[in-house]
Amino acid sequence: MTRFVLRRILAAVPIGLIVTLGVFALVFAMPGDPLRELAGDKPIPAAVMAAKRAQFHLDDPFVVQYLLSMKDIFTGNFGTTFAGADIASQLRLRIPVTLKLATMGLIIQWIAGLLFGLYAGFKRNGVVDRILLLATLFILAVPLLVVYFAAQYVFGVELKWLPVSGIAHGYPMSYLLPAVCIGLTGFAGLARLTRTSIVETANADFVKTARAKGLGEQRILWGHVLPNALLPMVTFMGVDVGGIFAGALLAESIFNLPGLGQFMFQAIKLKEGGVVVLLSTLAFVMFIAINLIVDIIYGAIDPRVRNV
Amino acid sequence: MRRVTGVLGVTLGLALVLTGCGDGKTSGSGSGGAKSEVIALAADPLDFINPLNENGSPGIQVAQAMFAPLVATDPNTGKVVNVMADSVTPDKTSQTWTIKLKAGNSFQNGQPLTAKDYIDSWNLTAEGANAWDNNGFFSKVEGYEALNPPTAEGATPKPTSVKALSGLKQVDDLTFTVKLKVPFSQFGLTLQYLGLAPLPEEVRKDPDAYKRKPIGNGPYKLDGDWSNGGDIKLAKWDGYKGPNAPEADAITFRFIPNADTAYNEFLAGTVDFVDVPATKIKTFKTDAPDGWVAGESSGANYLVMPDWDQRFKNPKLRHAFSMAIDRKALADLVGLATPSNGLISPDINGFRADACKYCNFDAAAAKTLLAEGGGFSGPVNINYNTTSATGQLFAEAIGNMLRQNLGLEVKYTGKVGSELTELAQQRKLDGLRFGGWGHDYPSIEDYLTPMFKTTGDANFAHYSNPALDALLAKGDAEPNPEAAIKLYQQVEDIALEDMPLIPLYAKQNAYLHSAKIEPRVSKYTGVQALYSTFK
Repeated sequence: MTRFVLRRILAAVPIGLIVTLGVFALVFAMPGDPLRELAGDKPIPAAVMAAKRAQFHLDDPFVVQYLLSMKDIFTGNFGTTFAGADIASQLRLRIPVTLKLATMGLIIQWIAGLLFGLYAGFKRNGVVDRILLLATLFILAVPLLVVYFAAQYVFGVELKWLPVSGIAHGYPMSYLLPAVCIGLTGFAGLARLTRTSIVETANADFVKTARAKGLGEQRILWGHVLPNALLPMVTFMGVDVGGIFAGALLAESIFNLPGLGQFMFQAIKLKEGGVVVLLSTLAFVMFIAINLIVDIIYGAIDPRVRNV
Repeated sequence: MRRVTGVLGVTLGLALVLTGCGDGKTSGSGSGGAKSEVIALAADPLDFINPLNENGSPGIQVAQAMFAPLVATDPNTGKVVNVMADSVTPDKTSQTWTIKLKAGNSFQNGQPLTAKDYIDSWNLTAEGANAWDNNGFFSKVEGYEALNPPTAEGATPKPTSVKALSGLKQVDDLTFTVKLKVPFSQFGLTLQYLGLAPLPEEVRKDPDAYKRKPIGNGPYKLDGDWSNGGDIKLAKWDGYKGPNAPEADAITFRFIPNADTAYNEFLAGTVDFVDVPATKIKTFKTDAPDGWVAGESSGANYLVMPDWDQRFKNPKLRHAFSMAIDRKALADLVGLATPSNGLISPDINGFRADACKYCNFDAAAAKTLLAEGGGFSGPVNINYNTTSATGQLFAEAIGNMLRQNLGLEVKYTGKVGSELTELAQQRKLDGLRFGGWGHDYPSIEDYLTPMFKTTGDANFAHYSNPALDALLAKGDAEPNPEAAIKLYQQVEDIALEDMPLIPLYAKQNAYLHSAKIEPRVSKYTGVQALYSTFK
């Protein structure tokens, strides 16, 4: 297992370099000048412009700028954004916010997805199954932006049950509404997959054999159906963890949570190549770690994949 | 909304379970009987407070509470009144100005406020290598070039040993003189700009160490620590002895980058003052029937003619374009806007309601003028800013008017704002673009110099007319304010005749406010939450 983990980590290094280089190139290729964008229509004196460009190495060639960004990441010397924010203190502020939001969102998403999916799968064509089909279709069809603003208006403005935005009410109050929004909008996929996987496994020959041998329904469910149906769900949930940050990007912007998603949004808007690469590197490391964990869990569930 | 509530029943149930109970708490009312208000700013949280390195609106709003300017505009009369200054006196050529400070003022750390604080703070800002945003202001002062040696494009500025503007001289503890490179009759008005605020000695020694704990000289000081990304809480400072102190005992600035979310916070009752975003222009009066105010903004919006493109050179063609635009319809589309009939904002001394001869909509006359001007070859390209939600909409509105009223072929190009500016600066932009300008100090000159002087730093059209430059210089050298305005009005006439910019509309700003406050609305200073009256 140690060799497997080491091999995966080593393989991630060149991929990481390609990914960060690609992201940096994309930001670099975005049109417009970030310093001018920040200033709007206000003129900037030539001396100030030159000093700022020199401070952020904006006149250096692309490769030099990329290497300087990577050096900053590896030396932990993050510097400031174009607007003057200290990046290290921004990360200290934002990482816990995103972790709290993502964890809460994922828990809601997984509990709702697994419970509804399992129930609907076992009681195929029942009331819950039909409601789930309709609900997931609805959730997948309505744009997230509409759901987020509608939830904000209903629970924050009209009913005043939860804060409209911000983190002033602390954890968990400030995070509930965005986390429920993320969880509910993300649960549809998992619920549908769980349902299908349960239905398929329940119809498999080995389940029929188990039933023919006279095993009880509970034992068939927990001992035969679930372990086999779990495999695709584990993969899906692994990808979910990576995807939750994409959801956080929108949720944090709308619910004004100072997390990494909001930071990424601002950084892209202001063409902050260094910040975008830093956040992409963080996301990439997370993604590799999650994939490793998923593979290990996979091995634990299904001994066949251990030596693949 | 009932339908949405029904649809979200599951969410609602879950939220109920998770929260246990809702308290519906609001934080807008503050504590005790003190007069406090929460002002929502639809902007990213500030990273530092330093008015000398800040020319964006959110930072300036906070700085307005914490720093006091030398002079200010009286909201009732529009006249300039002294705040920290005791007198501001030009010599007879308007080139050397003597500024005398009032005695007895100090910073919030107890340090007395002296002439040296201004001189040293201004020198710090004027030094190009510090890259502070308000550096450009000092370009009028003698000795600016020595602190900002010309640097080739792409080169790193060389450090300079010169650290002081030769034009600044201390006379005594409370008096200093400013010698300008050329006479400038409006200099006194520019002193109300907060980008000239003084910093105390301890801050000047290490500005970075104080970027999150500023020491001001204004009516409010920081109340407690200001954490990264958090609200900025201010409390009244007893040491402020200047005029025009606001009523509130405590002010909280809350930063909410998404303007619609900020608006929702207001509707939920958690903030007392919020800007109405463009998406709510049609609904804000019904959302807060008793709690909205609107005021003219000093910003004017124009269509910029590319002076480098020969096809647009003929003034008759420009007049034709201008007269083909139905400004009333355009202003209705923009919402809360007034059609422009000149280049100056209506709140400025010297504004004339009928300044523009070619700003009235007349399709037939426009067509005749276009024919007299030799017509236009090829399609008219209208560039719009893709980062503006309404850029394309307004471009198409103008394009349709030119197409229908002049029979021209029109095409559109969307680009991010800074790319448009860059292309225009390199004289490579193809066609028309939108431009806007708001004054830094309330003078007719602050519209004319930046936008129409050959070397103007906001001369988006790259327009140049030596006669206009000469007249502008005459106005700048005229010590009599009324006579100077007459000269500036002649400058406006030339600019309207040549028409490098076609005036479009002046936008009004709308705001919502809670029942406990009444924001100050002034023709001269706009809508100010800071100066709210408490009920």
